[in-house]
Amino acid sequence: MVNHKTNLEPDHGSHGHSVPLVYQRALPMSRGKVAIWLFLSTEIMFFTALIGTYIVLRFGAPEGTWPTPSQVGVIEWLGALNTFVLICSSMTIVFAYEAAKSDRIRAARSWLLATMLLAFVFLGIKGVEYTSKYTHGIYPQFPRSLMHDRPDVYYVSNFSAQLKKRIADLESATSPANDHDPATLETLYLIQSGMVNWTEKKVGMSDDPNMKRMALESFAHQIHPLSKRPDIDKYLVDEQSELVEKQQELAPQLRQLESDLVKVQQQLVRLSDEIAQLESDRKSKVDAKGDFPEPGPEELQRKALLESTEQKAKIVTDSISTLKQRLNPINLRLESHSAFNQFEKGINEHFHLKLPMVIPSGNTWANTYFLITGFHALHVVLGIVVFLFLLPLELNRRRAKIMENVGLYWHFVDIVWIFLFPMIYLF
Amino acid sequence: MKSTNTTNPPPPTSQRRVFLMVFGLLVGLTGMSFGVANSWIMDDRIIGWSVMVGISVCKAMLVAAFFMHLWWERAWKYALTIPTLFMGSMLVLLLVPDIGMRTDHYPRSRQLLSPESITVPNAPGDESPTTDSESTTRTES
Repeated sequence: MVNHKTNLEPDHGSHGHSVPLVYQRALPMSRGKVAIWLFLSTEIMFFTALIGTYIVLRFGAPEGTWPTPSQVGVIEWLGALNTFVLICSSMTIVFAYEAAKSDRIRAARSWLLATMLLAFVFLGIKGVEYTSKYTHGIYPQFPRSLMHDRPDVYYVSNFSAQLKKRIADLESATSPANDHDPATLETLYLIQSGMVNWTEKKVGMSDDPNMKRMALESFAHQIHPLSKRPDIDKYLVDEQSELVEKQQELAPQLRQLESDLVKVQQQLVRLSDEIAQLESDRKSKVDAKGDFPEPGPEELQRKALLESTEQKAKIVTDSISTLKQRLNPINLRLESHSAFNQFEKGINEHFHLKLPMVIPSGNTWANTYFLITGFHALHVVLGIVVFLFLLPLELNRRRAKIMENVGLYWHFVDIVWIFLFPMIYLF
Repeated sequence: MKSTNTTNPPPPTSQRRVFLMVFGLLVGLTGMSFGVANSWIMDDRIIGWSVMVGISVCKAMLVAAFFMHLWWERAWKYALTIPTLFMGSMLVLLLVPDIGMRTDHYPRSRQLLSPESITVPNAPGDESPTTDSESTTRTES
């Protein structure tokens, strides 16, 4: 294979006195192979930088502030399956090269076709993964993604803004396609009144920082839980029983006031009738001058009573509205408890809402995930394009070198995935 | 990875057996990686991660040595690949002080807006409750 002498070596047979000159080839390889190794070297820099950046970001994040695979919906076995698919494709392209080297053209073509199909399977699985990220709202977005780093008031405020926008969109949607969505609108109303408003009020009015923190964390947990949180479960149960107690205390008061109001209103009606009767009696007694007699003491007394009863009615109505203002949020909060507390995977997941959620470093994760796997997938696409160019050719001994170079590229793509798989799916 | 001065690969039949063995090893190592991720080894994450990276390096070396024929070929490629690998790694190391250790010297103002650990209180790795309550107070003001 290595021939240090070239045909440039001068013929010194006839002139015995000249010094024999020996030339070296630049490299003992075909230029194509040198080129592909040069290209792969640039690729090494490219992917080392990308993967290394991911590692630096991931391990630079303090414990608990980088999403685990399950928190961002990464499915381990799909990653393992894709690894298997790429290993198989590495194997098939080796066989394709071996077949081409020994002039078995049909076998070479079949192995290459198998490699290409496996590349498509890889992209298909990748597509499934990307779709699942998209449906869960886990992707970078402008001006900001749906993922927040911490459950703070900025999160609740952005959540509230997004929710209002969603509600307005649904309310204004008059097309029949949206008519089947009343349940969603009802759900959104309940989230707004029973969760967002409640949390905003609780955080705004409480002086206890721990209470504020629990209110915010329990809110974020109900939207998109990251892990089991017994403390939040307990907090919610305690809050629920406390609210039930309060409801049981206030509801009878409201009923009492409402029945008082009915009585007062009946009294008002009765008094008005009596006054009207007295007035009509009085007005029937017209004197000679055509004037009505002055109202009698009975009528005046009734009128005074009517006035005081009206005031009483106003006081009762005001008390009712004050009590309702206290009781309504409690009722809505309890309603939201019974409607939403049972969803282990959270409200976002259950109703496919894609509302802002708390995933610490989730946005950085999504940026790096899509950048790295996206570039890797682009390399797979490039591989497919090259396979498509090669497939119609006669893959014989003469073309084995091309096959070898394409194979080197494809193995490199496999090696990159070998490092990506544990880092993205298992760490 | 061994590089020899041998220029002739072994005969095709034995080579095919080698390829199949390498394939089997790659599948086995992938399974092992998956197993490690779901086993007690991950109780100590540093050990778990190290084992998984070790497995990945083994897999990469197997692919390079046999599927990419480096086992049977001359070593001139390393003159290209090792410096580039070195340069890539240097680029990554440059990020370590500012990005890798980004939270080590955060001022309080920045700490209050950084991602917050959401784990069960008192669990390993949980941040001090003081930071949390302070942040809530701050965001309120």
